[in-house]
Amino acid sequence: MHYPWWHVPFITAPMLIAAVAVVHVLVSHYAVGGGLFLAIETRHAYAAANREYLAYLKQHAWFFVLLTVAFGAITGVGIWWTIGLASPLATEMLIHIFVFAWAMEYVFFFLEIASAFIFFYYWDRLEPKIHMAIGFIYAGAAWISLVLITGITAFMANPGAWPEHQSFWVGFFNPQFVPQVLARTGGALLLTSLYVYLHASFKVKEQRLRNLIEMRSARPALLGAALIVLGGLSWLTFLPESARAALLAATTLNILMLLVFALTAIVFVVFYIGPYRNPGWLSPGFAILFLLFGLAAVATGEFVREAVRKPFVCYNVVLCNQVLPAEAPALQQRGYLNGGTWTRAWVARQYPQVMRGGEVDAPALLTLSAEDRRHVGEVLFMYHCNDCHAPTFGYAGLAPMIRGWTPEMIDESVKRPEQLRFFMPPWMGTPEEAELLAGYLRTLVPPYPAGMDTGSAQ
Amino acid sequence: MEPSPLIGPATTLGYPAPYWFLLGFKVLGFILHAVPMSLWLAGTIAAMLLNRYGHGHARRFASRLMQQMPLIIAAGVNLGIVPLLFTQVAYYRVFYPATILMAWAWLSIIAMLAVAYYGVYLHVLGLRGQAGWLKPYTGAAGWLAALLFIIIGFFFTNGFSLMTNVGAWRDIWEHTSIAAAPLGTALNFGDPTLLPRFLMFFGLALTTLGAYALLDTAVFAGRESPEYHRAMPLLALKIRIPGLLLFALCGTWYFFGALPQATRDYMFSSWHAPLTVLTAISPGLACPFVLLLIRRFSRVLCVVAAVVQFAAIALNAVSRQIVQNFELKPYLDVAAERVNMQWSPLILFLLLFVAGLGVLIWMIVQVAAVQRRELKHQPAGKKH
Repeated sequence: MHYPWWHVPFITAPMLIAAVAVVHVLVSHYAVGGGLFLAIETRHAYAAANREYLAYLKQHAWFFVLLTVAFGAITGVGIWWTIGLASPLATEMLIHIFVFAWAMEYVFFFLEIASAFIFFYYWDRLEPKIHMAIGFIYAGAAWISLVLITGITAFMANPGAWPEHQSFWVGFFNPQFVPQVLARTGGALLLTSLYVYLHASFKVKEQRLRNLIEMRSARPALLGAALIVLGGLSWLTFLPESARAALLAATTLNILMLLVFALTAIVFVVFYIGPYRNPGWLSPGFAILFLLFGLAAVATGEFVREAVRKPFVCYNVVLCNQVLPAEAPALQQRGYLNGGTWTRAWVARQYPQVMRGGEVDAPALLTLSAEDRRHVGEVLFMYHCNDCHAPTFGYAGLAPMIRGWTPEMIDESVKRPEQLRFFMPPWMGTPEEAELLAGYLRTLVPPYPAGMDTGSAQ
Repeated sequence: MEPSPLIGPATTLGYPAPYWFLLGFKVLGFILHAVPMSLWLAGTIAAMLLNRYGHGHARRFASRLMQQMPLIIAAGVNLGIVPLLFTQVAYYRVFYPATILMAWAWLSIIAMLAVAYYGVYLHVLGLRGQAGWLKPYTGAAGWLAALLFIIIGFFFTNGFSLMTNVGAWRDIWEHTSIAAAPLGTALNFGDPTLLPRFLMFFGLALTTLGAYALLDTAVFAGRESPEYHRAMPLLALKIRIPGLLLFALCGTWYFFGALPQATRDYMFSSWHAPLTVLTAISPGLACPFVLLLIRRFSRVLCVVAAVVQFAAIALNAVSRQIVQNFELKPYLDVAAERVNMQWSPLILFLLLFVAGLGVLIWMIVQVAAVQRRELKHQPAGKKH
């Protein structure tokens, strides 16, 4: 409402966030787990004076730097970029609540980048003790980065008592904080093993070394899988009631959630029986398959995490259509178009005849021509609904959803969307504006599919 | 002040720290970011040109610069987070609308940066003879990266100039929207300051590159020959001269031909006047040191020249900030928002910041010790 709404055809703007976030998460978790892996394994290789393993770890460090420092860092900034464009009010709120968490995270991010480069470029040049210390600086900084960012992302799922206290620490240590730190740490460990397998399966030819890598990497994977399950279950426990209900109500989310647990369990069992107890399984095919399993599980988890928050971007703080819950009564009384900075400016420019004392006179909107009423209805759709629905075809396209609906059904769904589906935000405008939106939706309704014989008269 | 109907209300949360604190970090962050950013903006294209048309030491410098570029990019991206974070805290009411109006170009910066970054990596692998089957593409990768960095810079200038060009928002919005929702396809082409501002910064970036050539020679090029050391000041001058000309020309265009009269008057009023003059001449202040270095090479003078150039960047950043606030003044008083202090997170951040600096310094000391050790064990003839 305070900002212009970016219309992204077909997929809708918020889906861009999901796309960038999933790509980033797949690399950023490796950036955390990979740091721990490299630090611990380098220490082990130094202690065992295993030159072959050290040589492999150096190779892996190059792959790690190339992927995480470049792609991981840029896509991390990319998420921030995208949320500012696609969800500006939520970003504004989060930045003002958590600017110092981000600033702290920045300190650790800087240490990560510096130590990652030093760790790789000064391999064989630093004394082993110093080299290992720098590896652990990286690992510690990367994990603390995860913890700091998780405080913010967990807040979005359940801010706990923040709406009453509005305190940084209450918001940061929210009910979802520990569950998500556990699950993300687990995800980082598990994904790292899968990346190591992929890399080693192509780069290491010597069987003994392969077996060593396989066996040692299985340990963090097993620990990671256990943490994911533990974190996932506690995540479920500490979800707000509406989010749990959304999970139960939406078949797709249900299936996806089960898929995450099932994939994690499969990976756990196969890793235990295979690489951990009977090394020798490692091959490019095995590594690719399991990395795909891992990526699918993490991506699915991220999608579910995003989806269950509806109708909020931040639970009880910002609604998905960029409205603060506290603003709802005023919008319902004075009008949605009137309450929005850009919508009010648009009406004032296009239809100055409906402005009274600088405000939009909602009843006067109904006196506009049919074409203009449709146009205003379309504006209402963009600013009230387009965050979750493409108008015709595309992500949650509205037209296919309302195929064959009668005008009465549309009117009812516009006036009380939250009663129809509890994960939709309530109608935020006046009855006149509801009429305009309903009028626009009526123009989108495709006819009831012809040729169906259900035995009842249509 | 007449608020624009397109600027939304202030956040009910208030600023988490006083405005001066936010502004301080924003400007400091930008100054630090501007150094590596200048190097990739002007440095990548310069390195590609020197590699193609240069000889001897110039090509060697180009190779050195490109090999350092992955670190420079990492530092630049990292240091860019600070000013952007504090911009979003203090200037959110203009930052979000401006970037939404040009959303696709703004978002494409991320994609272009990723491609450019890997382009640089591929080019470096080519320089080291490690590109394997990708060898035929390493040259193209370098040129592509150079081009993308320039486009990224241009889009950034669009974003930050549009942020203060509030008066143009409505027109841009009406021409690039569907049902009042922006398509995000705009750029700030209607702003007369756009092009001179971008070119002026490019000129400043070239002068920074020249200064960096000296710093690199003094601090990081211990293994290069004495001839290389002696040749670098002249190369630095050759890089700086077109930069100074571009800065002077486009700076004049920007200040006298593009900025409104009111802004010019403001920048020449009271204590702003000496600052403005100093900002204008600052990129040239390192030149006497460069000329002295051409006569006689000295590591200390190289570092002094680099410090003077850093001061020039800082002066430009401070002046730019003053202009930015003045441009926004008719619409928005960014300093007037309520402050809702977050004391304990702020103190923790500052403590971590200091601790982080300590750890960073410790790591640098370790690296420097390695460098010294390696230099000591290098054959005598190779040392400077």
